[in-house]
Amino acid sequence: MQSDFYQLLKAQGYILGVSGQAGARQELTTATTILAFKYRDGVLVAGDRRATAGNMVMYDRTDKVLEIDRSSVMAIAGVPATAYEMARILEHSFKYYRRTQLQELSFEGKLRALSKLLKENVAAALAGTGAVAPIFAGYDAGQEAAKIYFYDILGAEFEGVEYAVSGSGSSTIRGILHYLNTWGEQPLSAMPEEQATVQALRLLTSAAEFDSATGGVNREAGLYPVIKFITAGGVRVMPDLQLRSLFESRVARSV
Amino acid sequence: MYEEPYRWVEAVGNRRQYLDDQLKEGTPVVGVTYERGILLMTMSKGTPKLYEIYDRLALGGMGHPADLEKLRFNLLEMAHVEGFNRSASDVTGSRLVKYGIAPVIKQAFEEVFKAPFIVKMLLAELGQKSGKDGFLTINYDGTFEERSQSAVLAATSVVEQKMIEYVRRQSIVSLKDAVDVSIRTWAVGDRAQRSALEDGEGRDEAKPDSDQEMIGAETLYAHVRRCIPEKTIECVLLDRQVQGPSKYRALEADELEAVLPTDLNPSLS
Repeated sequence: MQSDFYQLLKAQGYILGVSGQAGARQELTTATTILAFKYRDGVLVAGDRRATAGNMVMYDRTDKVLEIDRSSVMAIAGVPATAYEMARILEHSFKYYRRTQLQELSFEGKLRALSKLLKENVAAALAGTGAVAPIFAGYDAGQEAAKIYFYDILGAEFEGVEYAVSGSGSSTIRGILHYLNTWGEQPLSAMPEEQATVQALRLLTSAAEFDSATGGVNREAGLYPVIKFITAGGVRVMPDLQLRSLFESRVARSV
Repeated sequence: MYEEPYRWVEAVGNRRQYLDDQLKEGTPVVGVTYERGILLMTMSKGTPKLYEIYDRLALGGMGHPADLEKLRFNLLEMAHVEGFNRSASDVTGSRLVKYGIAPVIKQAFEEVFKAPFIVKMLLAELGQKSGKDGFLTINYDGTFEERSQSAVLAATSVVEQKMIEYVRRQSIVSLKDAVDVSIRTWAVGDRAQRSALEDGEGRDEAKPDSDQEMIGAETLYAHVRRCIPEKTIECVLLDRQVQGPSKYRALEADELEAVLPTDLNPSLS
């Protein structure tokens, strides 16, 4: 009994993504900024809310930090149609496994499930119609620790021991994260939740400063990044009201 | 020889007798609604009999574990593929039963050269609002029945009727009420089944329990206390107040202990 939901879908004729034409490579679209880092109580995952098509802003309320189950989150960078479809497959796969096997899928099993989907999607990714470079973060019950993994568009999986970034604004904040973690007053992993949230807001604001495809904070519209926390207790979302308060008091002064 | 209509009817009748016989020692299952959703309860020997099917669907079953597993997988496959292809709100108990497993069970029951499913199933569905919760029970021959408020599974329809009559007279508001009433209703069913077995009768002809009206809570608790050494109380909830789309949760041992009737608590410790 495999209990593999994706195999079940495939047996019914489902095909993930659009089959790409080899060699017809276009500019890969990864216009966004997502980040994850370990803080004192677990892992923080954050993402801006802008969706773009070329130089056009399509939408400013996108949620790119998707809760897959009660203990894991996938942050998406890349083609939204494919990324959201992968998130839906994963969500159903994990539920299906839990309900058929009467136990949770292991954290390694969850990582592998995403990797397999990315590999299935290689043709579309190389053709430029379905590239996705996600971050997957979750609580590993076996090792009693929250963990971060990031992927390339071919499905290779890497552990972000301290942090991980993806998307077009990632190069800006990767350096900042390295600096903060190495020479900051305290390493990221020692920061309490509030301080970690402030850093995430500052990092995404910096990314938006240098990357037009990353949406910053829109105070007039009340639009703030999506920030989620993964701890032993599960996934939790930072409410906009709290984000607003922290942004006004500890981020906005220089923006 | 089954080409002759009479032989076929006779064969189906034999099958019914065979299935009644197989199910006569099964443990009853009780489903009741309460203020926050639905409680399913049974007492099992090791192997669980209550399962999560989808975000708002739970299953209780009695019968052969392998048959129950096969049908449970059918339900899980149908529910998840439908939920993925359409949406979670399109996955309804009614569609899963009427167009999904009921025809499969009926076909197996009537194909007299093949083995039938030795099962009875109870599917509970949490509505979007209180008052919209419902149950579907499916018999081994594929017949199904829709109910609200409460539903039960037991070895025979006579025992089921006794349990339904008992549960109907009870008032349920809180989880504590739901646990208490479901345990007592289970005891009504289990006592009636054992009594039928002792009398050498296991089917619908079982004599009516004349003192049914008189059974007091203490007698029922005493019956449950006698069962506890060899069986475990199993309770699961479809709880409207659980965060997120999946509303199913098992009642953990400490939580169960906190809501058990005081007459039963010492038996657990």
